This record gives sequence, C-alpha cells and structure tokens, in this order.
Amino acid sequence: MDFLLQGFFQGFVLLLSGDPETYSAIWATVAVSTMAMIASLALGIPLGFLLGHKTFRGKKVVRTIVDTLLSFPTVVIGLLVYAFLTHRGPFGGAGLLFTLPAIAIGQTILGLPVIIAMTATAVEALDRRLPMTLTTLGANSRQILWATVIEARFSIMLAAVSAYGRIVSEVGISMMVGGNIKWHTRTITTAISLETGKGEFAVGIALGMVLLTVALVVNVMASGLKRKAVQ
Amino acid sequence: MTPPLISLFNVRQRYSGRTVLSVDRLDITPGSIVGLAGPNGSGKSTLLRLLAFLEPPASGTMTFEGSPASSSSSPGPVHRQVTLLVQEPYLLRRSVHGNVAYGLKVRGETDVTARVNAALEAVGLDAERFARRQWFELSGGEAQRVALAARLVLRPKALLMDEPTASLDSSSAALVRQAALAARSRYNTALVIASHDMAWLHAVCDHVLHLENGLIIEQKTLKKSEEMK
Repeated sequence: MDFLLQGFFQGFVLLLSGDPETYSAIWATVAVSTMAMIASLALGIPLGFLLGHKTFRGKKVVRTIVDTLLSFPTVVIGLLVYAFLTHRGPFGGAGLLFTLPAIAIGQTILGLPVIIAMTATAVEALDRRLPMTLTTLGANSRQILWATVIEARFSIMLAAVSAYGRIVSEVGISMMVGGNIKWHTRTITTAISLETGKGEFAVGIALGMVLLTVALVVNVMASGLKRKAVQ
Repeated sequence: MTPPLISLFNVRQRYSGRTVLSVDRLDITPGSIVGLAGPNGSGKSTLLRLLAFLEPPASGTMTFEGSPASSSSSPGPVHRQVTLLVQEPYLLRRSVHGNVAYGLKVRGETDVTARVNAALEAVGLDAERFARRQWFELSGGEAQRVALAARLVLRPKALLMDEPTASLDSSSAALVRQAALAARSRYNTALVIASHDMAWLHAVCDHVLHLENGLIIEQKTLKKSEEMK
C-alpha cells in the first residue's frame, strides 16, 4: 500500500507545484464541462419548462423518452457523436472530432435529459395557485412565464448541479470523441484512466482529488438546494 | 352617468357539464361594498373568479367600466384593475418586500419601496421588521396580511376577497378588515367580500347577496352610516 500513500503525497506536490500536465487536464475539463453546461441549460430549461407546463398530444411518450435518456450510457453517446463527426459522418466536414467542442457536444447530450426531466418535474410540482396569483397581481403572459421559472429556481439549480456532477465525472465520451490527446483533449477522467494503466498513480491521485473536491462541492450545493426547493 | 365597474349579464358557469353558477344581472359599482353569503358550494368562489376575470363564463356577457371584457382567461389590462385575495393565498418564493412589490414591478411603477412600506403598515406589519423576511418565515396570519398588502399596494378599482379572515385569529382578522375598508375610503376601491361572518357583512356592506346552488336567492340592500364603515 506504500505506492498509494506515495501517490497521495506526489499528487499534492503536483497540484501545489502547478504541474503543467496536471493543470492542462484540469483546464480541459473545466472548458468542456462549462461549454456543455451552458448548452444544456440554454436548451434544457425552456424544453423542460414546456414539458412541465404545457399539455400536448404525446406528452407522456416524450416524458418517457426523456426519462429513459437519463440513463443513456456515455459510451453509446460517444459512439453516436463519433459516428456523426467522423469524416464519413454527416458532420465530418466540420473537423470537430478529437477536439474539446466534440467532447462538449457529447456531454451536452449527457446533461440535457437531466436538465429537461428535472425542470419539467419542478414546474409540474409548483403550486396550482401560482398562475392565478400572478394573473391577479397584473402579470402578462411573458411575466408569468418568467416568474414561474423564478419560482422553480432552486429545483432548476439542483438540476444544473446534478447534470454537472454527471458531466464532469464521465469518461466514455471524452475518451471516444476527444481521443485523450495530451495538452489538447486530455480531461481529468481520461488522464486518470491513462495514468492508472501506466502505473503512474501520482497524477491519477492528484486528478482524483480534484474530481473528489468537485464532487464534494456539488453535493454540498445539491443538499442546500434540495432544502431550499422544498421550503 | 358613470357605468358600473363590473357587470354580468345572463352569465352561466358550467364545470363538466354541470351548471354551478347562474346570474341574470349583477352590477358592481365603484366604491361599493358587496357581500356574498351562502353555504359552501353555493357558487361564491366561482362568482369571485368570474368577477376577477380569471376564467371565462360558459355563456353570458361581462363588462368592465361599460366595455365588454375579454372572455378569455389570458392575462389582460383588466387584471391590472381587479385583484383577488383568496382564503389561503400563495406567496411567491421571495421576501415580503419582493411579494408586495411584484405587482408594482410588472406595471413598471416607480417609488416601489415607499409604496411597499406604506402597504405593509396599512395591514399592521412593521415594514422595517417584515420587509426582508422570507416567505417561509411568516405565520398564517402574517402571510394573509402580506398577500393583502400585495393587492392594496396596487390601488385596484376592485378588490375581491374570498373568505379573507376564515383562517385568521381575531386580531389578524380585524387588521385585514380595517385595511380593506381603508382602501375603499382612500382609493374608492369596490370591495366584494365572500364570508360566512354575517355580522361583519351586515356591518360593512351596501348589498349582501345570498347564494344557494349557484343562484342568487336573495339580495339585501343595507343602509350603513359612514362611521360604521
């Protein structure tokens, strides 16, 4: 077990000394997860709002599909994005394969169902008196829409935190469409996978500690938001 | 002659094919106080929702200040003149100030803080103590008064109240009653009050309508001195 303790020690040294390779992976992770979160939220909140707020034919089917996509395996997403972005695929000409945006596209597909499903649930769970209250206070349709989103804000933030937790910890998409290219598309999770395979535990442990810290922050935020959402 | 604020002509309301309210003619005049009495399920709340233009009638005509009002439940200009306070109002998930200020903000009004504070004082809540409190930090009576303040601050032409004091203790109930009557005196707001408290209705109302099975079975016109109001 000495190698593990030694790995922890070296991991701290790498983090504290600002090791460029370690921080390159951290930077790549921050960049792709930020892009993916922005896209997931921009698409997911309006779609989730519509799914929760509106009544339309086939709503149950759409809901079932979204709920099923919550457990979309990351390697399957990786496979699909790869198929679309490879030079033989429909978007091969865009030259996105093995780039950070390619990983972000895959991670957006991963995070989107989480945002849509949880936003829809949050909107459905809002008090039935809310639309009447807003109308009788003089709000117009646009103001009612916005106020409804604001009323569900803690649940929507919880959705965002949950999606981030899933996105930041995935490895399948990053590996398949990012290619794990050093200094370019190597993320925390792909770096851990590679370094562990090489028997280099220090970098893996250093990056693992960063990932665990992110997980801790995400969980603390999630529990706080859960409390707020049920008040 | 000034037209009535709200008029109903041959209005019928049906839910699932069942007629729950039938009103041949009803006028609410500016500054009047109209009481609605009757047992549970007699149609008082349905009538209030219609008067608040929150739902369209199944048939019949409604006018606001003499003009036909939208028969749609979609938000429109009339909703900025008529407001409804229910027995258990919903408070927005924000501070007391945020709740009371909401209606002013959607209208783009200025001088919001001063008006919010005045409205809170009108319902017996110390603005300095309560304005920053969150919605979940209020008792039932305080929440009801905040909801009333959120409506009084709008200086509506009609304030409709559905059992506004039913779940309140006597001191909170007295404050709600005083604040509503003060709004009528200051802004000539018409009040329509549904309540089981017959003593209160008879003390303050110009007219009391008795409803049963969705019909107005009796209409009493009461002569009250201004001091009593």
